[in-house]
Amino acid sequence: MNGQTTTGARLATAAVATEAAGDTQVDTREDAATAVADPWVTIVWNDPVNLMSYVSYVFESYFGYPPAKAQKLMLQVHHDGRAVVSSGPRERMEVDVQAMHGFGLWATLRQSGSSDGGSDGPAGQGGGAA
Amino acid sequence: MTPFRSAPAGYVARWDDVEREVLGRVARDVAELVRAESGLEPGVEVGDGVAFTGVARVPQDPAVQRLLPDAHDEDADVAAEFRHLTQTDLAAGKVARLVAFADAIDSPDALADDPRDGAELVVPRESAQEFAGALTDVRLVLAERLGLVDDADVETLHDDVLSGLDEYDDGDDDGDETESDEDDAAPDEYAGWERVGLTGRERRYWGGVFVAAGFAQESLVDEMLADLRAGRSDD
Repeated sequence: MNGQTTTGARLATAAVATEAAGDTQVDTREDAATAVADPWVTIVWNDPVNLMSYVSYVFESYFGYPPAKAQKLMLQVHHDGRAVVSSGPRERMEVDVQAMHGFGLWATLRQSGSSDGGSDGPAGQGGGAA
Repeated sequence: MTPFRSAPAGYVARWDDVEREVLGRVARDVAELVRAESGLEPGVEVGDGVAFTGVARVPQDPAVQRLLPDAHDEDADVAAEFRHLTQTDLAAGKVARLVAFADAIDSPDALADDPRDGAELVVPRESAQEFAGALTDVRLVLAERLGLVDDADVETLHDDVLSGLDEYDDGDDDGDETESDEDDAAPDEYAGWERVGLTGRERRYWGGVFVAAGFAQESLVDEMLADLRAGRSDD
């Protein structure tokens, strides 16, 4: 909630600034900015084999997430069947997906704007060690 | 098999000879399977940075498909490109660590200093992640072979294996290995093992290996996680 308010405020400020500078270009400029920034996401899917502790270990050791965040994502995978575990440019998501496969987790990448993949994820703190 | 415990030299457990032998053999089998299915050239030394010439091919074996899965669940082109770029490295890494795992658990050094049954197995901290990863790949392949598709299947298998430990511990040659084999197995709630064509005896055997590998991995990862959180997983 708080985060959204802040973002909304920032967007509003930006819109006002843009509007002051120009005229009816506001909408198209914002669309373009959104499209460029549209990140990809790494999704980890549930499987019956991987141990909950191992999944937590992977999220903590590879992504550097604190235990609470790793645990939350792990439980999301376990209960919802999947979780978005990182977001960012496609190249970095490919690195993350490959790393997840290396650990034996079942992971896929997806463009976060497409279908339903990205909306429920922890956007912002994307990316892992490279 | 005892659980892994954190010690100055690394993570330490005691594994019986038969546990070392069986898990080592399975790991080498999985390594060969991955190598063959992924198109790695046979006989190429892995793990020393050599470039592989094999062209990534889509694995046909469902177990290897799980180890080297599609990287996109909807876009086949993205998945194919990703596989082309990464599969050889990924597969080579898995083969290397499976072989290292097998070498580590049947190392004569590990046995020589302690002739007792269940000699100490020391996993140095710097190789613990690879060791745990090899256990994961072994368990993923065994799960596929056992027809385990959901959490309930795994729980049922665990219960059956653990409840049957005493019963089957010395039962390898008690003469019941024919049809009655399936009947005298513990009650089953999942039919996956029949779907994949295992007999009751095979299911008990591979189920036991699966559970043992999970026990080893769980205790190892618990200690790794504790070290990681304590900030002393230095290598």
